[in-house]
Amino acid sequence: MFGYVVRRLLQLIPTFFGATLLAFLVIQLAPGDFVTRLELDPTQDRESIANLRQQLGLDQPLPVQYAKWLSGILQGYLGLSLSYKTDVWNVIGQRILNSMVLVVLATLMIYLVAIPVGVYSAIRKYTWPDRTFTVLAFLGLAIPNFFFGLIMLFLAVWLSDLTDMRILPIGGMTNEFLHLGNMTRAAQILFPPALLGTLVFAGLFWWRVQRKQAATFGIWVGLVLFGMSALLMLWPLLQGPGLPERLPYTESPLWARITNVLWHAFPVVIVVGTSGLAGLMRVMRGQMLDVLSQDYIRTARAKGLSERVVIYKHALRNAVIPFIAGIGGLLPGLIGGAGLVEVTMAWPGITPALLEAISAIDVYVIMGLITITTVLLMIGNVVSDLLLAWVDPRIRYS
Amino acid sequence: MIRRAQLSTPQANRSFFQQAWIRFKRHPLARLGAAVLLVFYLGALFADFLAPYPEEKSFRDFSFASPTQIFWRDQNGQLTRPYVCASERRRNLETFKVEVITDCEKGRYPIYFFVKGEPYRFLGLIPADLRLMGGPWLLEDQAKLFLWGTDDFGRDIWGRIWFGARISLTIGIFAVALALLIGIFMGSISGFYAGRPVTFSIGLLNPRFWEFVRRSRWLDHLLALVGLILMAALLYGMGQGYERYIKPDLQRVSTLALGGLGLVLGLVGLGGLMYFLVWRSHLARALLWLSAWGGMAWLLWITVWGFWQSSRGLEAIIAGLIGAALLGAIGYILLWPRIELDLDTLIMRAVEVLAAIPDLFLLIILSVLIPMEVPPAVRFVLVVTILSFVNWGGLARIIRSQVLQLREMEFAQAAQALGAGDARIIIRHVLPGTYTYLIVAVTLAIPGFILGESGLSFLGLGIQEPATSWGLMLSKAQATGITAFSERPWLLIPGVFILLAVLAYNFMGDGLRDALDPRTKV
Repeated sequence: MFGYVVRRLLQLIPTFFGATLLAFLVIQLAPGDFVTRLELDPTQDRESIANLRQQLGLDQPLPVQYAKWLSGILQGYLGLSLSYKTDVWNVIGQRILNSMVLVVLATLMIYLVAIPVGVYSAIRKYTWPDRTFTVLAFLGLAIPNFFFGLIMLFLAVWLSDLTDMRILPIGGMTNEFLHLGNMTRAAQILFPPALLGTLVFAGLFWWRVQRKQAATFGIWVGLVLFGMSALLMLWPLLQGPGLPERLPYTESPLWARITNVLWHAFPVVIVVGTSGLAGLMRVMRGQMLDVLSQDYIRTARAKGLSERVVIYKHALRNAVIPFIAGIGGLLPGLIGGAGLVEVTMAWPGITPALLEAISAIDVYVIMGLITITTVLLMIGNVVSDLLLAWVDPRIRYS
Repeated sequence: MIRRAQLSTPQANRSFFQQAWIRFKRHPLARLGAAVLLVFYLGALFADFLAPYPEEKSFRDFSFASPTQIFWRDQNGQLTRPYVCASERRRNLETFKVEVITDCEKGRYPIYFFVKGEPYRFLGLIPADLRLMGGPWLLEDQAKLFLWGTDDFGRDIWGRIWFGARISLTIGIFAVALALLIGIFMGSISGFYAGRPVTFSIGLLNPRFWEFVRRSRWLDHLLALVGLILMAALLYGMGQGYERYIKPDLQRVSTLALGGLGLVLGLVGLGGLMYFLVWRSHLARALLWLSAWGGMAWLLWITVWGFWQSSRGLEAIIAGLIGAALLGAIGYILLWPRIELDLDTLIMRAVEVLAAIPDLFLLIILSVLIPMEVPPAVRFVLVVTILSFVNWGGLARIIRSQVLQLREMEFAQAAQALGAGDARIIIRHVLPGTYTYLIVAVTLAIPGFILGESGLSFLGLGIQEPATSWGLMLSKAQATGITAFSERPWLLIPGVFILLAVLAYNFMGDGLRDALDPRTKV
């Protein structure tokens, strides 16, 4: 196993070099460089332009520039942003974090929804809920996510026209000003039901534990969701009344900022996650159907086990194995798919930054963005391979 | 009796594809998908007929006009032939907004079907002027007919949907064809030579080098020389042809087609010369690898020298050491060892590299390479090239896995025993076994390409004005601000068409997969 891990990690090195070299070549083959725009400006002094180009190292041959960049990377330095005149990391760090918020939330949503729905569809095969889910899955796979994003914006505008309230956000990641008063009042209204829900699910949990039964998946989900929202609402309840009605985003307390970002992320995550959700739902259903037709399931039923135990203990645990590996196939789709949605819904993530950098021919920002996403992707793939090898004893590490 | 006789037709009488066709016909969703696609492709073919206006006709006064109201009842409330009313753009005295206002007092214009419209060339060749809807008033511009409203330049969206379908729906097929070509080539080589390394180079001082060179006759060396000269001549001729005939007249489609044909023929000729003349001579092969190593050493030298000059301290020392080590290694390779190359590892590593960069980012940076000033036809070809370059890896993997399986079969080994060459075994014996699998893979890959193109065009990096595609049309909904959503929802219509096309392809792919699976029975 250890040898397998090491070999798998070593394999990443040539892939990393190849991918960065390819990206570098493609970027540099594009006509013009950062300084070209200045050359078109007649008021600029020719000599100073040549100086600038030399300063920025743009006059060196391509392989030398790549080697320079690579030696910087190996020392943990991503290079200099030509248009912002600062370290690339300062330009792109926040953008990458913003995108990761989407990717992580979307992955969570996909797994939380796809597994139960897939299992449900498989158990009640060819009933009308199953057919509905199937149709929805086909739609979800077919809808271009930027179009879905536009529809989501349309919905948000329509809702805000209809009710005169901002129920869904219209693009962006944060508001300039946060209405703390409104948030506090909303928390005051919503806290009792959240608390009640938490108590109900905690009671269910306790009841099942008393009867020496494991809590079901639904109880876990309900407990976590209600508990989290009740916890999130504690802060506005405790701190909110003392604060001013309205504050700029940067001066607001952390809970208000988190709530604001989450509220903005909500429709974006739904849009980003839809196609992955639809795909994995179908995979889960197929897997579950495969497993349910196995001999050992019939044996388990013949032994007189309850249907619940058969499904959750014998079937689900076997059906979910390849599903875990799916996370590797999910990541590229999520990162790439988040891209178009980010542009549509004005989420300040990686892809808008990439497009800005490309229009300014800011080479090292482009390279930084591509390198970091590539590395994230490769790590994700390795992790999912390792998870699969760890979960499934049938896989040989050769 | 007759009925029973028909029912008991033995299955063996039906060929595999007949059975598959029967299974496909039983799949209701697949039938639906195929029907929708048929409608779309016919619509794209007859776009000139369906659209009341020519593709680039714009009405500046009518930008973002809402869908033209079509009336079914006359003044007395009686049902009548559908008609439209005269409309103009002016300030609405109640809301004080500039709007397109329909006024039936100024004239009513009945819509006629299959009428004479503005002339066009069907398929770019046959002059015609038959259009589905319109009337003399449309030609004289007395009233407008915008079934689904207009875009920012005041162009009819209904018509442009069908003109856009020409690009959006064919780009997937072209891109998949190109990707399939690359994928079959790479995948079959990779699968066939997996675990059978090919000699890449042998050091000059190694006795086996001379053994290797002496393996071919003198005549072969001569022929290789002729081949190299012919290749150089062909390259020169291609360059000259481009400079003289293609470059001065890049805006014309016929010139472009000629240029494309020339390029393909030239590449085929180069490949043929390489394979039939040059590759036969072992001396020429040795010279090729020597020049490859030489080129690599030269590149390395430039890099190390430039790097060394522009850095100082520890960095310079490390760079110098690494450079010296690499150059030394190349020198050693030139002199002594025999290097074997596993083509499978090489190709699969390349596929992995392509897969490591997120597809969207690769598409974006590649699309920047397309020059701004190229005519739409070239842009189309280049977008197709980019899409297939990014996506051939998946198809290559599929084909490789199939070839790996099939090359071990008895029939492949029999062909080898009978003395068939590698190329013949791959093309005649191994690849046909992958067809059913490929049909399904291709059908399911096309929607990905359609989505890729529309995404790229949506970002403004793919197809560009004055040509149109569904993604580009959808980008108008995004570009005109938030108010666009409540005030002009008809700009979202192209998105519905993308959705339907992708859905139809997915349904059809599912049906094909079930139909072509030999395990299911008729």
